[in-house]
Amino acid sequence: MANEKQDTQKKEVAVADREERTRERRVYVPSVDIIEGKDGTTLLADVPGVDESSVDITLEKNILEIYGKVDPDIPQDMRLALSEYGIGDYHRRFTLSDEIDREKIQATVRNGVLRLVLPKAEKAKTRKIEVKAGE
Amino acid sequence: MALKDLVTFGKKDVPVRRESDHPFALFRKEFDDLFDTFFRSFDMQPFEGRIGAFSPKVDVTENEKEFNISAELPGMDDKDIDVSLQNDMLTIRGEKKEEKEDKGKDYYRMERSYGYFSRTIPLPVEVETDKVDAKFKKGVLTITLPKTAKAVAETKKISVKVE
Repeated sequence: MANEKQDTQKKEVAVADREERTRERRVYVPSVDIIEGKDGTTLLADVPGVDESSVDITLEKNILEIYGKVDPDIPQDMRLALSEYGIGDYHRRFTLSDEIDREKIQATVRNGVLRLVLPKAEKAKTRKIEVKAGE
Repeated sequence: MALKDLVTFGKKDVPVRRESDHPFALFRKEFDDLFDTFFRSFDMQPFEGRIGAFSPKVDVTENEKEFNISAELPGMDDKDIDVSLQNDMLTIRGEKKEEKEDKGKDYYRMERSYGYFSRTIPLPVEVETDKVDAKFKKGVLTITLPKTAKAVAETKKISVKVE
């Protein structure tokens, strides 16, 4: 009976995880969907306000980091009457497994959604071994 | 009293307080709150659940001449968004579909919102209905609503003098 409404409120990066920043900005944790397929994993992150030139993706050892910069485009003469979502950057970190082929990671941004395709490494793909009937 | 005054949903999100001093409005508000608390204890919401799977969060900016309402709608296409204006109620609605190619696969984590959504925002002043403009860029919808000359004229700036 409970008709639960999806929460669309962005979550800010927790204070404990926050490192010192050189820019005074709010930083949000983007919501993600992680989809596991046969050939790899797809990661979708909601980053409204970010385009391909303002997103940074870094991979160091097995830590994948996403950082999206958002420019607050409120014109000078406008004043904020109501702010529900807040404007800020996006930051989130993921630990990758060894199964991912790092060389072939692809990233695209469209309509404020970042899509990361993380293909499985050749050796990690499951192989089906055929069993032949003995004579 | 106009019919829209009786509409309860969306009113909670009024960016500007109005009518609240009116005794009847106050009574209605208290009644609404009573219902809200009652339904909350059952983990359901009386109206909002029916209206959509989620309601987008909005930011409102304004100056003397116009209003800007922006909503974050990541992953949507401009053709999936419907913006309408009726009297002084602005409605944003649409449907965010799950991408076809991802259907039937295993989800590890699902945090993003999908489904039908609707949000009605009452406008505090009259706007030029035929000059309303909506843009969709980088997952952010921005609606520009110019105020009518009458509404602009009614706003009077009062200067504070130093004695």
